[in-house]
Amino acid sequence: MIRVNDLTVAFGGVKAIDGLSAELDAPVCGLIGPNGAGKTTLVNVLSGLVQPRAGSVTVDGADLLGLKPIERVRFGLRRSFQTEQVVEDLSVWDNVRALLDHVPHARGEAVAQVARALSHTGLLDVATVLGQRLNLFQRRMLEIAKSLVGAPKLLLLDEPGAGLTEQEAGALRRVIGSVHAFCGAQVLLIDHDVDLIAATCTQTLVLDFGRRLALGPTRAVLDDPAVRKAYLGTE
Amino acid sequence: MSASILNDAPVQGIAAVPASLAEASRRAHISLAVMVGCVLLIGIAVPWLANAYWIKTLTSSLALSIAAAGVALLYGQLGLVSLCQYALLGAGGWIALRAGHGLGWPFELSVLAGGLLSCAVGMLAGLPALRLKGLYLALVTMMMAGGFQVVINVMGFPDGGAGWLGRVFGSERLMMPRPALALSDAAYFRYVAVWLAAMLALIELHRRTRAGRSWALIRRGEAAAVAAGVNILRYQTWAFGLAGFCAGVAGALLAGGVGQLDGRAFTAGDSVMLFALTVVGGVYHWAGALIAGLLLRAVPALLTDFGVNGYLAMIFFGVALLHALITAPSGIAGQLAGAFDAVRKRFARGGKEAGP
Repeated sequence: MIRVNDLTVAFGGVKAIDGLSAELDAPVCGLIGPNGAGKTTLVNVLSGLVQPRAGSVTVDGADLLGLKPIERVRFGLRRSFQTEQVVEDLSVWDNVRALLDHVPHARGEAVAQVARALSHTGLLDVATVLGQRLNLFQRRMLEIAKSLVGAPKLLLLDEPGAGLTEQEAGALRRVIGSVHAFCGAQVLLIDHDVDLIAATCTQTLVLDFGRRLALGPTRAVLDDPAVRKAYLGTE
Repeated sequence: MSASILNDAPVQGIAAVPASLAEASRRAHISLAVMVGCVLLIGIAVPWLANAYWIKTLTSSLALSIAAAGVALLYGQLGLVSLCQYALLGAGGWIALRAGHGLGWPFELSVLAGGLLSCAVGMLAGLPALRLKGLYLALVTMMMAGGFQVVINVMGFPDGGAGWLGRVFGSERLMMPRPALALSDAAYFRYVAVWLAAMLALIELHRRTRAGRSWALIRRGEAAAVAAGVNILRYQTWAFGLAGFCAGVAGALLAGGVGQLDGRAFTAGDSVMLFALTVVGGVYHWAGALIAGLLLRAVPALLTDFGVNGYLAMIFFGVALLHALITAPSGIAGQLAGAFDAVRKRFARGGKEAGP
């Protein structure tokens, strides 16, 4: 459960997030909004890359803002970036292992954990292949596989579906939808692909100019006239 | 792309580790053994084939290869340009000479002391790297090398005298005693080869485990490393420490080979040359360090052998560096490994394509 209370982030005089309060408790939550709405800024605050000016953020009751970025990873926070961060000269296996190295796990369990994560994302067959030989879909899947090891609590996925074909996006949908059942982690999904959000997220938060425009069940939020006007456009 | 993931629901439950992983692990072990074997083979073969002059020259080459391996580690793994590694080599040599002469420590202990001191200094030298990269880090480390050059010019290296500096004045300088099991030049060459094999193995083991994976993430980008929970300060400092350790050990072995070190032979320019020739040799393959060692000592000696002015080597090195930077970023070692692979693949295809 993510609880954001009166969060404000400012870059100079520009308020990227302006007094945002929200409670996100669904297993897979969507975060949408037009360009510049503050979506990535919110993810950056959650992962510790940006310090807010005011407000508080808790995940499963733990105060996130009191933790350094790498402490948040140990706590169970995982994030993927808009541009995937696969290490080109490490094998798929080592890409996942590299994350497990820095989060708490039982020593004897490392191999089984990496194998499970790769199996879940369909990458076990290419475990020994170098990152540079992967296609975009495999890279996106590898980013999710990395997030699944070491008892994650919250996955922040920043546009994981960008550039994928319809068939690939379908596979991505299935994997994202099964994350909670796989490891019990909550997912916060940011994407411009409304179909992806509608298909995977039961709860969605809409931001506009750093403010909360709507929050609630995804279908209701997407049908909200204010959301349609700000984000989807009106006829 | 894996076809199953596009069509099927994700696989649940414990997955079996694929056989290819065991095969990759087996290959990694073999390549490590091949590396150690090659260096030890050089250690055995060269004293049989070479004369006294070349044994001494190649001993220095092998020792400098250890320092080059440290430079390659920093540049190849983290993209960091450190231009003070030859100064760290001098610092390691100083401590080894001081410990050997003044405290009468066993040779191995002196080498380790030299390595550890340079490791600590290397870590300190690496601190600016947390904020500085590329040209700026290169400049800062080169200034450190310049500072060392001034200090060592004044202090000189210990040569068996009294006092804190251990300098002899007015009588003959003493030689640092070699280890009991490597008194002759040939035996000392083998001894240095064993150190080189051990240091290369130490670096390879780092590269293939947690430290190597963390360096890979830092290399990918700071955001990627932080998002994966990597403590950048710790792992970057660790790399500088390991590179410093290599330099210190190299300096101590150099001191043991010659018996003394010359305070004028550790200029900032030597650090630049060590870096440049390591890049020419290749920073992504262990053989690159060996080639760098040869370029630093054996090539100038070879030119002298042919009656050519050794300074001509500088021109040759300049051209080689340009070649490496423009066309061969993986250096001579990378090109050789590529050629070796191509030949092996051609032979693997067998005579099928060799028909009429």
